[in-house]
Amino acid sequence: MTQFAEWLSRTAPSLFLQEQYAWAIPAIQSIHIVGIAMVMGSVLMIDLRILGWAATDQTLGETTRRFGPWLTGSLWVLLATGILMVIAEPVRELVTFSFWLKMVLVAVGTLVAAAFQIALRRHERHWEDTLVHRPSIKLLAIVTFLVWACIIVLGRLIAYDHVWGGWSPAGTQ
Amino acid sequence: MDIASLLSWLEGTGLAARIRESRLLFPLLESVHVIGLALVFGTIAIVDLRLLGVASAQRSFRRMASDILRWTWAAFAVTVVTGSLMFMTNAAVYYGNAYFRAKMVLLVLAGVNVLVFELTAGRTVHRWDRAPSAPPPVARTIAALSLAIWVGVIVTGRIIGFTTTRAAAVEPLPADVDLEELLGFPGDDGQTPATPPEND
Repeated sequence: MTQFAEWLSRTAPSLFLQEQYAWAIPAIQSIHIVGIAMVMGSVLMIDLRILGWAATDQTLGETTRRFGPWLTGSLWVLLATGILMVIAEPVRELVTFSFWLKMVLVAVGTLVAAAFQIALRRHERHWEDTLVHRPSIKLLAIVTFLVWACIIVLGRLIAYDHVWGGWSPAGTQ
Repeated sequence: MDIASLLSWLEGTGLAARIRESRLLFPLLESVHVIGLALVFGTIAIVDLRLLGVASAQRSFRRMASDILRWTWAAFAVTVVTGSLMFMTNAAVYYGNAYFRAKMVLLVLAGVNVLVFELTAGRTVHRWDRAPSAPPPVARTIAALSLAIWVGVIVTGRIIGFTTTRAAAVEPLPADVDLEELLGFPGDDGQTPATPPEND
C-alpha cells in the first residue's frame, strides 16, 4: 500500500493537486465537511423519526423520501471529494490506520442506509405499523447515528494517526 | 481589560496545559467540534432549504423548525465548548489569526441574520406556515444568506487549522511544504509543543 501510495503521489493529477495545495486542499476538505454535514442532518432526521422524537406528523416513508435522496447525493459528493484528497495526499491518507477503519465504517453506514431504504420501499406498511415501533429498530437508529459520528472522528484522526500508537503504520516506522 | 493578558492567562491555565500536553485530547476535541458543526450545518440547511422552497415545501414550517432547531442549538453548544477549549491552548495565535477573526465575524452575522428573521418573516409565519403559501422574499433572502454564511464558517474554520501552526504563525507556508514533515509527525513529543500537532 505504501508503494501504491508513493506511485500515486507521482502521477500527474496528484502532482497537480500538490502544486495547488494551499487552496485546493482546504477547498476540497470544506466541500467534504459540507457533505458530511448533509449526511448527518439527513441521518439525524430519519433516526429521530424512527425514535419518535421528531416529524411525528409525517410517516416514516414520507420522512425517508424527503431525506433519503439528500443522503445518497451527499454520499456521492463525499466519495468524489474523498477520492480527490487521496489523490492529493496518497501517503497521508492510505498509510494510516484511521483511514482504513473509517472506510470499514463508511461501508457499514452506507449498506445500512441502502438496506433500510430498499426494505422500507418493499414493505412500507409493515415498517409503518410494526417495525418502526420495535426497540431493536430504534436501537439500530441510534447505532447508525453513532457510526456516522465515528466516521467523522476517524476522518479527523487521519491527521493525527499517531494516537493509535503501534496500530498506526506511521507509528512503527 | 487588557486582551493580551487575558489571552496569556487563558493559555496559562491548567486546563489549557492539560490539553496541550495530551496527544489525544486536542484531536478528540477537534473531532467532536466537527460532529457538532456537521449537525449545526446539516440541520440549519434543512430549515433554510424549506424557506427557499427547495425541499419539504409541503410541511408546516413551524412544526419543522420546532422539531429541528433544538438539535441545532444543542449541537451549537457542543461546538462552542469544544471550540473554546481548543482556543485556550493557543489563545494569542488564534486571536491574531485573520481566518479566526473572519470566522467570528461570520458567526456574529449568522446571529444577526436569525435576529432579522425573527423580527421580519418570523412575525408573519402564521400566514406562510403551510403550502400553498410560500415564505416571503425576505425569508428566502435570509435563508440564502444563512447557507452562505455557514459555508463561510466551515471554510474559514478549516483554514484556521492550516494557518495556526507554529511555523505558519511566523510566516505563511509555501505551497509545496510537506506539513507533516515540518511538524515532525509523528512522535517528536519530547517537549511541550507551543501548538498542538494540528497539521490540517
